[in-house]
Amino acid sequence: MPRPPNTSPQTLSVLALLLESPRSWHYGYALSQLTGLKSGTLYPILLRLADQGWLETRWAEPEQPGRPPRHTYRLTGAGARAARTTLAEAAPSRMTRRLAAVPGSR
Amino acid sequence: MQMHGFLGRVADVLARHLLSWLHRRVEPGSREWLDALTAESECAEDGWQRLRWALGGVPLVWTINQRRQRNEPARGIMRARIVLGVANIVAIAGWYAVIIPATYGATHFLRCHLSFGNQPGGCQEHPFVFASIAIGGAVLGMIIALALRARFAAYWWAVFAAFTTVGSVWYLRSGIVDLPRYGATQSTMLMAATLGVVLAAIMRETPWTETYDSAGAPASFLSRHSITAHLIAGTISFALADALSRMRDRSLVADNVNHYAILGSAMFAAILAGLIRRLHRTPVERPL
Repeated sequence: MPRPPNTSPQTLSVLALLLESPRSWHYGYALSQLTGLKSGTLYPILLRLADQGWLETRWAEPEQPGRPPRHTYRLTGAGARAARTTLAEAAPSRMTRRLAAVPGSR
Repeated sequence: MQMHGFLGRVADVLARHLLSWLHRRVEPGSREWLDALTAESECAEDGWQRLRWALGGVPLVWTINQRRQRNEPARGIMRARIVLGVANIVAIAGWYAVIIPATYGATHFLRCHLSFGNQPGGCQEHPFVFASIAIGGAVLGMIIALALRARFAAYWWAVFAAFTTVGSVWYLRSGIVDLPRYGATQSTMLMAATLGVVLAAIMRETPWTETYDSAGAPASFLSRHSITAHLIAGTISFALADALSRMRDRSLVADNVNHYAILGSAMFAAILAGLIRRLHRTPVERPL
């Protein structure tokens, strides 16, 4: 039986992190550091969430001159609601295990 | 400590090259996410971290390309493939139907009108006439295939032209008229020509990389040095074909003329493949 969309432990950890401050814009590098996910895992998840309309993206001006613009992310209203539902439906033990592994969540 | 710094710089260079290589694997319209990953790589504290970050671009590019394929209308792709396949078949089969009768017809017509020193009476078919028409026909076939955007057919005719050109030069130089006796060398030359075209075709860059690169990524070594690329293709083809012919027929090694013929086939084929690549370049509009 196929797994429902966006319920992998990696996606759940991204959603949990984004839900901590749903109105703030997040950088990919910081998300990677905080979730412990490698870029090759994180970006396909972000891409899929954006395709599904859960995630809003924006190019932000660089903080330092000479650097390229940075891509930032935050949950859309519908995305935040769907993320809450998904996280609530996810097995608590699984989420607890996953969140325990997230640096800074303890 | 110095070694660590040096290795870190190497990792940094590798990361940047990997990212620029990955950019060339994605169409310009689909690069947003790879651009995002590339921009974030600037946050890495050292070369190793940047390399680890850049390696994540590989699965991302795979995901991006999968998504693009899924989103493309399947019917349109199928129709385009059928049209392309038909164009290739028409360009090859149609031109064969023209070239072969023309070659035989012309050699038959000319055999008693041209005299050659090594042909008693000058009333026999001669490789010069035969080859001139065959080469001319193949080059014309290549041009028509390019006009039809039938790239496979163009490569096909490039192989044919390369093989026939070098074969004819070799025969004329050696004064050989009895072609069937040299079947082994012919096979090797044809193999070298085919390999030369195939390798040069593989070495070509994806069309969109040659006209626009949103990240300003430098062109690859092979696209910057196309002559070197084609020489490499030709040399590899020669080496492979020659090695195979040595295994098959040891006496072939004794004759240097055969080696030159095989090398010539491979080089000429690689250059023709390079010309096809250049003529077949697809312009891509820069997105706003």
